[in-house]
Amino acid sequence: MVSKLKIMLIAFALSFTATHAGADGVKVGFIGSLSSDAGRSALRGAQIAIDELNAAGGFNGKPIEYVQADTGEDVTEGIKAYEYLAETEEVDFILSGSIDDVSLGWMPRMKEYRIPTLDTWTSYIGIIDMIIEDYEGMETYFMNVASDEALATLYVDFGKDILAKKMGWDSVVVLQEDTAFGGAINGLVSQLLAPEAGIEIVDTIVYDIATVDFAPIFSRAVDTGADFIYIISSVNSQVVSSQYSKLQVPKAMTGVNVAALGQEYWEDTGGAGGGISTLSPVPSVGFALDPASAKFAETYAKRYGSSRPKFPHFNGFNAYWGVKQAFAAAEDAGGFSADKWPKEMLKQDIKLEKDGELWLRYAFWQPGEVEERTGRTYPHNIKFDITPPYDNGAPAMVVIQWYEDGTTAVIYPPKYATGEFSVPSWVK
Amino acid sequence: MTGISWRHVALWAVFIIFMLLLPEMVSKGTLRTVIFANFLAIFAISWDVISGRTGYISFGHPFLIGIGAYTTAILSYRFGMPVGLSIPLAVCVTMVAGTLFFLPALRVKGSYFALVTLAFMELMYQLVQVIRPDLTGGTRGMSGVTTLARGAVNNYYLSFGLMIVIAVSMWVLMKTRFGTALSAIGMNEESVRGSGLSTTRLKLFAFMVSAMVAGLGGAFYVHYLGSIAPRALFDINFVFTIIVAVLIGGASTIVGPMLGAFFLTFLLEYLRPYLPGAERYFIYGSIALVIYMYQPKGLYEIVMQQWRKYRVVKAGET
Repeated sequence: MVSKLKIMLIAFALSFTATHAGADGVKVGFIGSLSSDAGRSALRGAQIAIDELNAAGGFNGKPIEYVQADTGEDVTEGIKAYEYLAETEEVDFILSGSIDDVSLGWMPRMKEYRIPTLDTWTSYIGIIDMIIEDYEGMETYFMNVASDEALATLYVDFGKDILAKKMGWDSVVVLQEDTAFGGAINGLVSQLLAPEAGIEIVDTIVYDIATVDFAPIFSRAVDTGADFIYIISSVNSQVVSSQYSKLQVPKAMTGVNVAALGQEYWEDTGGAGGGISTLSPVPSVGFALDPASAKFAETYAKRYGSSRPKFPHFNGFNAYWGVKQAFAAAEDAGGFSADKWPKEMLKQDIKLEKDGELWLRYAFWQPGEVEERTGRTYPHNIKFDITPPYDNGAPAMVVIQWYEDGTTAVIYPPKYATGEFSVPSWVK
Repeated sequence: MTGISWRHVALWAVFIIFMLLLPEMVSKGTLRTVIFANFLAIFAISWDVISGRTGYISFGHPFLIGIGAYTTAILSYRFGMPVGLSIPLAVCVTMVAGTLFFLPALRVKGSYFALVTLAFMELMYQLVQVIRPDLTGGTRGMSGVTTLARGAVNNYYLSFGLMIVIAVSMWVLMKTRFGTALSAIGMNEESVRGSGLSTTRLKLFAFMVSAMVAGLGGAFYVHYLGSIAPRALFDINFVFTIIVAVLIGGASTIVGPMLGAFFLTFLLEYLRPYLPGAERYFIYGSIALVIYMYQPKGLYEIVMQQWRKYRVVKAGET
């Protein structure tokens, strides 16, 4: 009995200790959703960058290993995933394709482990504020997508220039999905867009993300008499768009439609997603790419063109350039040490030009550096530019239009525009 | 008090000693997994006190866990209250909420009670986002809540200490006449009432105890995570994880929910390197289903069956 018990205990203990042997080289961990298009874009963008780095000799002559941890876009799973990468896989650098509340969930772990981490999707300004408040604790964190405050500031310009001035609209009905994302964006619209652009919000309709019949909701929106509908949708966004088109809702619709950020949108809506516009971080669908980004997009399409997303979302580009920068910084810092790496990462600056002018830029705001228009600092956030002619960085966002024939174009800001804002043919 | 023998005490002691030595035997990554298993065990034990024993199936248990978690997070993070004070206060608030939770049990039971409790959770999910988001953090919640310990080992001892104190206390409590009466309510409430016992009082006490454990677990949980978000707590998947842990482990026992919590947490984490995506949930669900179909009374009963078989064989040998 005793010997059997011993064997069982040893077997039990051994099963606990089964961890994964690390390679000799550097280990990169991906944290994010492995099932969402945006998450997979970041995962694949980083994979391409790592493969290129490995083909060029790896890091310090050793191969770079890439491991992944799924968050399922769940906050607690995100914390477990970060712990797994840090303590089981013992990664040197983490690339994140996490959404806002998931990043906020694992943030205390990042501060504890002090692992260099780059977020390619989360844009929450509150995280930048955390860096300002606790620079030492947050020094290893970088965000290479423009924070939502910068994005909103530029979007207000679109509201003023196009919605109010060009279209002459002064009232809006907000159609918001019942999610954390929906609530957050609605807050920005109510606090910034409406007052700044002189557009009155006449009603806000919150709908459940499981809604399949939008006819009564659109009917109520039309009855408000507002000039246009502002949609905020990140889950099943193709449903609301295709029904808008099929029902030929007699109001223009713009806003934030996450499904429309990917090229699969047209297929997902059964070819009935035209006539809407949405803001998007850069580079977006319909965005004219600089030669270097176009080369990455071509590699991506060749490799992953048979499974969605067939074309990378904005954070696929961010992941690709971000990994390149992270390793360039590690070369200069002699590794991913929490003390030296952040200082070198801050010095990274990739300027991508198109036809002789600055098109995209991967650099970071320095601690204490003030952005003139908003009068505040954005340490460790991507060096965006929210003032025309956008010659100091890429704009914080662009507005893209899906036309009724399935084509897309960037319609704002003018420097990046490849098409014009339009309302569907059925809207008088 | 009935049914406590020296063998029980010895088994608890062996388990405690083994768990205390665990940090010497396993990696830190594994300890992190055990920490989550400890917390899930606490929530599962709490759920079992109400639902496993009395048969009042709750789908809204995160309502209680969330109140404990949010109360201490707000008090410590927003108002700078010491955690030593905010946690006991959070437990008291959760117990008050437990009374609210109890009210429907006076009038409805079965699936109706389950739906009412689900409504409690949904209501809480909506409220924390819109009522005083300056305090609750709204949709994104709060990040940077004070943590009680740093590092895997310290947090492991903390979570295990809490779990074992709760588990042993509940085990002893359930060995008393109170525990027997609760189980009897689950079998036939009318008969218990007919025997002269106040089922209302018994149920109220069970709800208070469950709320206290949930509040305590929720409060320590948030101070372990260091962050809190409505989507992380008031979520149907969270409820199902707790319920599945109890059912797979063995309802109406204390060891069962602990076994279930450890089994489920480790199963998911051990599948992660091989199936990093959502596929592991399919395997997880399938294994859970097979176990449940094989032995509806759960892992605890499987272990006990093996133990009884072993004793019969041993007795035959001698």
